[in-house]
Amino acid sequence: MREYLFRRLSLLLFMLLTLTAFTFSLNYLFPGDVLTNLSGQVNSSYAQSQALADKYQLEENIIVQYGAFLGRIVDGDWGYSLSSGQPVFEHILLLFPATIELCVYALVVAIVLGIPAGVIAAVFHKRWPDKVINSLTLMGFSIPIFWLALLLIMVFCLGLGLFPMSGRIGLLYEIEPYSHFILVDIIAQGFPYGGFAFIDALKHLALPTIVLAMYPTTVLIRFTRDSMLNVLEQNYIKTARAKGLNRRQLILHHALRNALLPVIKQIGLQFSTLLTLAMITEVIFSWPGVGRWLIESIYQRDYPAIQGGLLAVSMFVIFANMFAEFSHTVLNPISRNQAHGKI
Amino acid sequence: MAKFKLFSEESNRSPLSRLWKKFKANHPALVGLWIFIALTLLALFAPLISPYSINQQHADALLLPPSWHDAGDVRFILGTDDLGRDILSRLMNGATFTFGLSIIAALITTVLGVIIGSLAGMSKGIRSSFFNHLLDITLSIPSLLLAIIIIAILGPGLLNTVWAIILALLPQYVHSIRNLVVEELSKDYISAFRLDGASKWKILVRGVFPNIYEHIVVIFTMALSTAILDIAALGFLKLGAQPPTTEWGAILAENLGLIYLAPWTVGLPGVLLFIAVLSTNLVGDGLRQVLKDRKAD
Repeated sequence: MREYLFRRLSLLLFMLLTLTAFTFSLNYLFPGDVLTNLSGQVNSSYAQSQALADKYQLEENIIVQYGAFLGRIVDGDWGYSLSSGQPVFEHILLLFPATIELCVYALVVAIVLGIPAGVIAAVFHKRWPDKVINSLTLMGFSIPIFWLALLLIMVFCLGLGLFPMSGRIGLLYEIEPYSHFILVDIIAQGFPYGGFAFIDALKHLALPTIVLAMYPTTVLIRFTRDSMLNVLEQNYIKTARAKGLNRRQLILHHALRNALLPVIKQIGLQFSTLLTLAMITEVIFSWPGVGRWLIESIYQRDYPAIQGGLLAVSMFVIFANMFAEFSHTVLNPISRNQAHGKI
Repeated sequence: MAKFKLFSEESNRSPLSRLWKKFKANHPALVGLWIFIALTLLALFAPLISPYSINQQHADALLLPPSWHDAGDVRFILGTDDLGRDILSRLMNGATFTFGLSIIAALITTVLGVIIGSLAGMSKGIRSSFFNHLLDITLSIPSLLLAIIIIAILGPGLLNTVWAIILALLPQYVHSIRNLVVEELSKDYISAFRLDGASKWKILVRGVFPNIYEHIVVIFTMALSTAILDIAALGFLKLGAQPPTTEWGAILAENLGLIYLAPWTVGLPGVLLFIAVLSTNLVGDGLRQVLKDRKAD
């Protein structure tokens, strides 16, 4: 186990180093001045740019420059946004929780709906529940997410007026940002405004969560179904059947545990896609998260912000993957013996 | 669960014809295939068969609803937009950009993915580990973010989007191909082939590829559906195709302001996108199922 941890951690280190190297090389690849791309300072005077070049060690060779870049990343000095003039790191600290919040709720919805649906589809293989779930999944899988968001807005916001169209919470309510997770903040402050703020926040969350959950739900349904079907073909299930267990016992006690193991790994792999979709969802619902900020940064050619966003989002995905794989290993005795970080 | 065959029928057909026979029996997949072929033909010949040109404006017919509506006009079957352009013609031409370019992007990805994937699959030791972990990193960057970075470097535009999508699709593609190659290489007949003195190239071309090309087609359909969605999403975010290019996502974004006044201008491009992706997925799913069934018997 210790060797496994060591291997995983060295792999993590390698991945983070490569990621930062890629981010660093973007300074040279992006159009414009390297110093501006690095620091986010425009129109600086001669003395200022000399000081900056000194700070970023631009006169030295590329390895030293990269070392200086790494040092600043670790220190939390990620440069200044070209459009707002604020430090990029502060933007990310402020905006990332909103994205994570949305992603986590969507993932929870996906797990709560997807896994039972997948199990049902596998248990009733080739009968009508399987067929219904399968065709619905295929449709959910194929629907362009921005179109789905627009359809929901057309029906529920413009047509029925049930849900608000944009933002995290109504302008009437003022919630002190404490952890930047809006529901957590509201609960921590003891449901201000007689609980109405909480309900309002939930209403704001409803549509973006549904839109964002659509894709991971379908993926989880398909994956759970396939994994469950594989397990049900195994010999130990046949043995259990031969021993006279009924269907319910068979599925709940014997098949489910083994079928869900690969699903845990799959959940970790979903984060990368989830963040891609979150970016689109955030733009449509004006959700003040890191995705919308990134898209706006590209409209404004805000290169330091794009780099910072890339670094933060990819690190998050790497850590999420690592965490999922780690919990998979803890739960699955077979994969513990594979010392190599297998993919 | 044991399966009994009451009538054992010997089938001496070629693998491909057995594949087609099973595929034919799967009706949704067959319908998907027909739609897929129709869209491909549309993508090729849209400028020839569309009733109007894409930028032709009809000042007497602004924002007409589709023709089955009371206020509609039969000259414009799917209505017109705020500049009086025929939506049917624009959508037909959109197939060339969204669907046609996606096919090209997926094809280029296939070629690159097969080359890199088989290199990664054939290599061993530290080189293989390097390939894999390098791919892991690209997998951890969300595809849209990767596309955004490439667009930040190259500038927005339809062709740059295609490059971005190819690069964003490639890691997963290479991963799947590598797994296929590794799985095939571990089989006994390949060992026998190697013992017979076949070179690496021979093993790859004669041994591995004939056995995995059907799976590559399945991966191709998956890549294609992602490519369609990505091109449209980038067009929708105004990072890909720029108006007046008739890419479906761009049309959708262009008409977003009309969502209240003329919902069909927003709804119809989405319907087409949905149909295109659905047909691709139907074909891919059907093919995967058929491959599984053929392996079973």
